[in-house]
Amino acid sequence: MIEGLDPVIHVPKRLAAMAMLANAATVSFRFLREQLEISESDLSKQMSALEAAGYVKATKDGHGRGATTTYAMTKLGQRAYQGHCAALRKLIGQP
Amino acid sequence: MESIDVAAQLQAVERGEAAPYISYPPTPWWYAPAIGAWAAAFIGVFTWWRENTALFTSFLVLLIVVEGLFLRWMQQRHGALPMPGRGRPPAEIAVVWRGYFAGVLVVAALVGLVWWLAGLGFAAAAAFVLVTAGLALYEAKYAVAAERVKARLR
Repeated sequence: MIEGLDPVIHVPKRLAAMAMLANAATVSFRFLREQLEISESDLSKQMSALEAAGYVKATKDGHGRGATTTYAMTKLGQRAYQGHCAALRKLIGQP
Repeated sequence: MESIDVAAQLQAVERGEAAPYISYPPTPWWYAPAIGAWAAAFIGVFTWWRENTALFTSFLVLLIVVEGLFLRWMQQRHGALPMPGRGRPPAEIAVVWRGYFAGVLVVAALVGLVWWLAGLGFAAAAAFVLVTAGLALYEAKYAVAAERVKARLR
């Protein structure tokens, strides 16, 4: 792995999700699915990987069909995301 | 893993970062007048500032609770409400936000001036008119900026 690039965030769908999470206090599951245009099961898998790494925190609101899940980026996630972006920019010589 | 398309990754970053700012449901027609009415009510409660502390405090707390509920509703409706100070807004949106915060200062100064010159009732009315008009203008400018960002990232 190239120095500074995070293997968890490196996956394009996770990188895009992290970019959205970095710019909002919370992001809903629905919003992420609509933006990423992927299936619910695929999104669940990607978000579980980010949760397992400690980069995001999920909150469930309500029960049953009306339940909503929102995600927020953790401080660890913020550092990892910023580090990954900085490494990408360094690779192409951007400040 | 070792072979990466850096340009594609940076493009994904830019699109992802912009998404909360440019993908949002249409603003309801009542949004600007409702916030204007809230601002007028906020000024209006100062009628009881010296006369009745309990009434003043109760209505102030009520207005703050209403604001909190409104923000929660907005966040649920939008799905990813961007917050000032968090993340990096696209340049086009950042310009509009700077205008918004400058506008807030101007409106606050004008309402304060009306309060000083004409009294509380006129200040509440001025708050309603200025906040409603200011927000409507901001919403229109924001929509144009959001379209520009969409076109740039397409």
